[in-house]
Amino acid sequence: MTATVFEFIGHNTGLLFQLALFQLGVSAEALAISAAIALPLGVWLGHRHRGGVLAVNVSNVGRAIPSLALIAVLIPTLGVGRTSLLVGLVVLAVPVILTNAYVAVEGVDRDVVDAANGMGMRPREVLLKAEIPLALPLIFAGLRTAAVYVVATATIGVLVGTAGTLGDVIYNQASYRLEGVVAAAIYVAGLALVVDVAFAGLQRLATPRGLRSTTDYSRLENVALGATQQ
Amino acid sequence: MMLAAAPQVVIPNFGGNPHSCVRENHTICWGWLRDNWSGTLWPALRDHVELTLIAIGIGFAIALALALLAHRHDRVEHPVSIVTGIIYTIPSLALFQVLVGIRAFGLSRTSVEIALVGYTLLILFRNTLLGLRGVPSEVVEAARGMGLTRRQILWKVEMPLALPAIVAGLRIATVTIISLATIAAFIIDQGLGAPIRDALNNGLFKTELYAAAALAVALAILADLVLLALQHALTPWDRRDR
Amino acid sequence: MKTRTWLFCLGALLAAALAASGAIALGANHAQPGAGKPAVTIGSKNFPEEVILGQLYAQALKAKGFKVNLKSNIGSSEIVDKALTSGQLDMYPEYTGTILSELAHQTKTPHNAIDAYNKAKKFEESRGFTLLNKTPFFDSDAIGVLKSYARKNNLKSIPDLKKLGKKFKLTALPEFKTRFTGMVGLKQVYGVVPTFIPLGTTELVYTAIDSGKVNGGDVFTTDAQLASGKYTVLKDPKFIFGFQNVAPVVSKKVLKAEGAGFARTLNAVSAKLTLPAIQAMNKAVVLDKQNPAKVAATFLKANNLG
Repeated sequence: MTATVFEFIGHNTGLLFQLALFQLGVSAEALAISAAIALPLGVWLGHRHRGGVLAVNVSNVGRAIPSLALIAVLIPTLGVGRTSLLVGLVVLAVPVILTNAYVAVEGVDRDVVDAANGMGMRPREVLLKAEIPLALPLIFAGLRTAAVYVVATATIGVLVGTAGTLGDVIYNQASYRLEGVVAAAIYVAGLALVVDVAFAGLQRLATPRGLRSTTDYSRLENVALGATQQ
Repeated sequence: MMLAAAPQVVIPNFGGNPHSCVRENHTICWGWLRDNWSGTLWPALRDHVELTLIAIGIGFAIALALALLAHRHDRVEHPVSIVTGIIYTIPSLALFQVLVGIRAFGLSRTSVEIALVGYTLLILFRNTLLGLRGVPSEVVEAARGMGLTRRQILWKVEMPLALPAIVAGLRIATVTIISLATIAAFIIDQGLGAPIRDALNNGLFKTELYAAAALAVALAILADLVLLALQHALTPWDRRDR
Repeated sequence: MKTRTWLFCLGALLAAALAASGAIALGANHAQPGAGKPAVTIGSKNFPEEVILGQLYAQALKAKGFKVNLKSNIGSSEIVDKALTSGQLDMYPEYTGTILSELAHQTKTPHNAIDAYNKAKKFEESRGFTLLNKTPFFDSDAIGVLKSYARKNNLKSIPDLKKLGKKFKLTALPEFKTRFTGMVGLKQVYGVVPTFIPLGTTELVYTAIDSGKVNGGDVFTTDAQLASGKYTVLKDPKFIFGFQNVAPVVSKKVLKAEGAGFARTLNAVSAKLTLPAIQAMNKAVVLDKQNPAKVAATFLKANNLG
C-alpha cells in the first residue's frame, strides 16, 4: 500500500503541488477574514469582561452545524462557488479564535491590570501593553488551531463548486483510488504542518522578549522591565 | 430494457403523505416533527450525545496524559503536536475504509470513536499543555516550599490554575465533535448525521434538515454552558469584582 | 359389540388423521427455506433507492424464515465493498455498471445490459463472489436540464449540447470529471465539453439546476424528481453512461451455506422490480417522506413476497 502511495505521489507531484498551493491560498483568505472578525471581538469582550459567553455561543451556532448541512443551507442563497466555501470555513474558524481570544484576555490576572492602572496607564494602554502581551500565547493557540482546522477542511471546496483544492482528489476515490486519496491526504497533512510551524514562528516573534520562553500570565515585572525569565 | 416477459407486478398505492406541508417542503412542518420525534429525531439525538461524550471523555484522558508528559519533558511537545495535527487532517471516509476492514472494529461504534477521538486530540492537547505552562512558577515554588509532593502540586495547584485554558479547549473540542460526530452515520446509521443525510437525500427536506441542525446547535450551546458552569464551580477563587 | 368396535376404529382413524395432519403442519414450518440456516448480513448504500432495495431483500428473506441482519445506509461504495470483502457483509445490491467502472476499473462501455451483467458477474466470481439475477429496471446516470432550458436551446439528446460548448454549466459529483461515464466520455464520444462545477451530493444537483446557477446536472434515471415533469433528460444514443441494472452481490460461500431457497427468494424479488415499480417506491420515500421499510413491506405484500 505505502509503495503505491509513493508511486502516486511520484507520478503526480505537479498536480498535487498545484492543488496544495490553491488550498493554501483559499485557507489564508478564510483565516484572514475569520481573524478580522473574531480577534477584535474576542479581545475587546475579554477586556471589558462582558458578553463573552454570548459571543462564544453565537459563534458555536454555526460551528456545531455539520459542514454538509451548512452547505445545503447556503447553496440556495449563496450559490455554488468560492463564496459558499469561504463562508463555511469562516464559520469553522471564528468560534475557535473567538473563544481562545476572549478567555485569554478575560483571564489575565486582575493584579496585573490593577498594577498597570496604578502605573498610570490609560485603558487602551492597559489593553495593548499589559493584557494583550500576556494573552498572546492563548490567542495564538487559537489562531494556530483555527489555521489547521481551516487548511484541513478547505478540501470540501470541491463539494460546493470550488475545484482546485486537494479535495478534488480526496473526494474522487473512484478515479484516483485509495492510493491517490491517501497521497492527497498526506499533502493536506503537510500543509497543516507548514501552517502550524509558521504560526508557531509568528507567535514567537510577537511575544515580548520578557515572556518568550514561558507563558506565565502574571509576571508584571517582566512586562515592565523586559527581563527574560524561565 | 425489458428482456424476458415480466411477471405480473402489482404496484400498490403507497398513500402519499398526510401533511401537505411536507409534500410542499415548507420550512417547518410541526406535524412531521410530532410524528417523527420519538422514532427518528430523539434516538438520533441520544446516540449523538453518547458518541460525543465517549469521544470527549477518551480524547481528554489521552490528551491530558500527553500534556502532562510534555509538561514534564519539553521535547515531547513537538512530535505530539505534529502527530495530532496530522491525524486531524485524515479524511474520515479514508480512515473508515481502513478501520472497517479490520474485523475487530468493522462497521461499529468502535471505528467511529477511534476516528472522533483522533480528531479531538489536537485542540485538547494544545490547550491543556498551554494551561499547565501558564501556571506562574513562583506559585509552584511556593507550593514546593510548603512541602507539597510533585503529585500534590500537580493536582492541587497546577491543574486548578490551568483550568480556564483547559476548559476553553474542552468547549471548542466539544462543539467540534458535535459537528464531526455526524460521520457516524456513514457506517452505523446513528447520530444526527442520519436525519441530515436523509433530509439531504429526500428532496432537501427542510423540516428534517433544520430540525437536526437545530438539535446539534442546541446541544453545542448546552454543552458549552455546562462546561462553563463546571469551570466556575471548580475555580471558586476566580471571582471577578467588576 | 361390532358397532362399538366400529366407532372405536373410526375414532382411532380420526385421531391418527388429526395427529398426522398436525405433524404435517408442523413439518411444513420446518420446510421454510430459511429454517436452520445461518444468519446472513445484508448491507445497503446510503441513498434512498439502495435503502429500499436492502429492505425489500431483507424482508423477503425474513418472510421465508431466514435470519437477517440489515445494515442500511452505509456510506460510499468503497466502504461497502471493504465490508463485503472483509466478511462483515454477506450480500448487498449493486449496480452492474458501477461494479465495472469503480471496482473492476474497466473503461470500455459494454455492448448492452446483458453484456454489462455478464462482465460484472465474471469480475465478482474472480474474487469469490457472484451475482444473482438482475432486476428489469436500470438506474443509469443521465444529463438533466430544466424543461424550459431544453426548449429554449432545442435540446433533446446529448449531441445537441455540442453547440453550447463551455456555455453549458454542468454539475455533478467530483468523480464525474474524471470518469468515462462522465466528462471523459462526453468529450471522447460526443465531443461535448461543458464547464464542470463539482458538487457534494446528488440532491444538491437538483437544487443547483432549479436555482439556475447551473444549466444541467448529472441525474439518475429512476430519480423521483424526474416524475415531476419539470426536467428533460437528454438521450444518450451511444450509451456512454452504460447499463446499471441491480443485482445482489453475494459471497459464494454464503450462497452455498444458505441453500437454494436463498437465491430463489432474492431472484423472485428482483423479477418484480420493474422501472415503474422502483420509481413508485422512490417517489414514496423521497417525495412523500415515507419510511423505506414500510414502503418495502407494502410492495412485498402486494406481490405475495412478504
